[in-house]
Amino acid sequence: MVKMNKLLKEQLESAFKGIRISIPEDTRMIIHAKKEQVLTILKFIQNKAYDHLALISCVDWIEEGEFELVYIMSSYLQGNNKYTGKEKVNITLKTRITRKNPEFVTVISVFENAEPYEREIHELFGINFKGHPRLTPLLLEREYEIPPFRKDFDTRKYVEQVFDTIPFVEDKKE
Amino acid sequence: MQILQKNISDRELELYFGPQHLGMVGNFSITLKVQGDRIVEATANPGYLHRGFEKLMEYRTWIQNFPLVCRINVVEPDHMEMVYSMAVEKLAKIEVPERAHYIRSIYLELARVGSHLFGLWAYANMLGFDTVAQWSMYHRDLVLDLFEELTGGRVYHIYIWPGGVRRDFPEGFKDKIIKTLHSIGGCVPDYDAAFFNNRLFYKRANGIAQISQQEAKKLGAAGQVLRATGVKFDIRKIEPYAAYDKVDFNIPVRENGDAYSRVWVIRDEMIESVHMIFKLLDKMPEGEVYNKIPNPFKWNIPKGETYARVESSRGELGLYMVSNGQDKPYRVHFRTPSYTHGLVILEKLLKNASIADVGNTMISLYIVAPEIDR
Repeated sequence: MVKMNKLLKEQLESAFKGIRISIPEDTRMIIHAKKEQVLTILKFIQNKAYDHLALISCVDWIEEGEFELVYIMSSYLQGNNKYTGKEKVNITLKTRITRKNPEFVTVISVFENAEPYEREIHELFGINFKGHPRLTPLLLEREYEIPPFRKDFDTRKYVEQVFDTIPFVEDKKE
Repeated sequence: MQILQKNISDRELELYFGPQHLGMVGNFSITLKVQGDRIVEATANPGYLHRGFEKLMEYRTWIQNFPLVCRINVVEPDHMEMVYSMAVEKLAKIEVPERAHYIRSIYLELARVGSHLFGLWAYANMLGFDTVAQWSMYHRDLVLDLFEELTGGRVYHIYIWPGGVRRDFPEGFKDKIIKTLHSIGGCVPDYDAAFFNNRLFYKRANGIAQISQQEAKKLGAAGQVLRATGVKFDIRKIEPYAAYDKVDFNIPVRENGDAYSRVWVIRDEMIESVHMIFKLLDKMPEGEVYNKIPNPFKWNIPKGETYARVESSRGELGLYMVSNGQDKPYRVHFRTPSYTHGLVILEKLLKNASIADVGNTMISLYIVAPEIDR
């Protein structure tokens, strides 16, 4: 498995310039890439049989003024259900976009199941995915000034504003 | 069902298939565009149960999150505890003693049996097999009794802890597990006669909501949905956690990819789980059940990020977690199996299906609404 990881690392590094790859565990590989490279890297990884997109996540690094998009991929079993060890590996692709201009491209053309994940990130972080067919609300019911999963959204303050403070039982008796 | 809008010109109706419908799994709804009995377009609407757990967890310490995390999935809270514990252990580099690994595996397999029985209840109920539904609910209760004795809670257990499990098996608990599983296993012929080999079940489920292997892979399926198409994709084998690498077990698969195959995979999995629990009980070593963790009130976990995954009873359950060196997680994101099944695959499968098959499709995809919303 370690060999397999090394091979993939070399292939990736020769194909794409300016990416950083680290292997923190035997079963994980993290690729840091520029945002322009994401689509081509995803296609490249998919062609290397890592064809299962498990998750798209987003982290708000507010102090650095950036959003980090995280794509986690692994491999389905290849061929006739034999375990080769390849499916153990999780590949994490990370890219950063600025908080001021939260725009990115959709990856539905590569992985079809990216659709609800991008929709959710659009709703909770306010990132606009260009080319996404329906960026309609998914989970939330109300309108928010700041998308609620951003770090500058204060849950406690919001609850007080919307639902008012609940009085203590002692105060109610008066 | 409630008619929202009527377009007489092309006779297309919009039907709201909401939580009040018997064939619906929990708090979830689908808006259907139908022409006659045929569904033209289906839109899944989650959000009824969105409680913002991932945001809430950013406000609580690592240990305070344990009572929260199990509430994400009501039907099987145990795999949630496991995946969160695994992620914390990976980030904080905590070792788990050997006996705790075995106890975790036994506990998770019991949870799988309980959860599958609950799923069987929903499916049998939807098809009108009320007797089978009552049986499976009764047998699930027997599993819950075991949980109650072990952890003090029937539904939410908060039992798996970073560094091991909360407490050891009480005296005589091993025999109780064996007795309960024997009484459930003894009823398998009855279940087969009344439900699984029943002609009505075959007629009602065969060919319904069929998905090919290629398409299932393309749409990111996991769990029974994928295994019913013939792929032996199971995290317990691929990336063994707890004590799953210590025992030998089979992964039941079927080839057809329809509702019939999926329910059969669930049945076979339950039996396999029971066998696995017996094997684990035989092999279980003596020793400690948890390693001491630092004072949880002053527990700062070093900077880092990790992705942990387990095979929950519905498919691949993952957790992406980021720590920035504080006493609280910086970002938590769950990858739940029902998310892809309920939002991508369901919409695809309902196209061109008939209205009568909506419930069948949903429940056979094994969707739990709280898992989608989080």
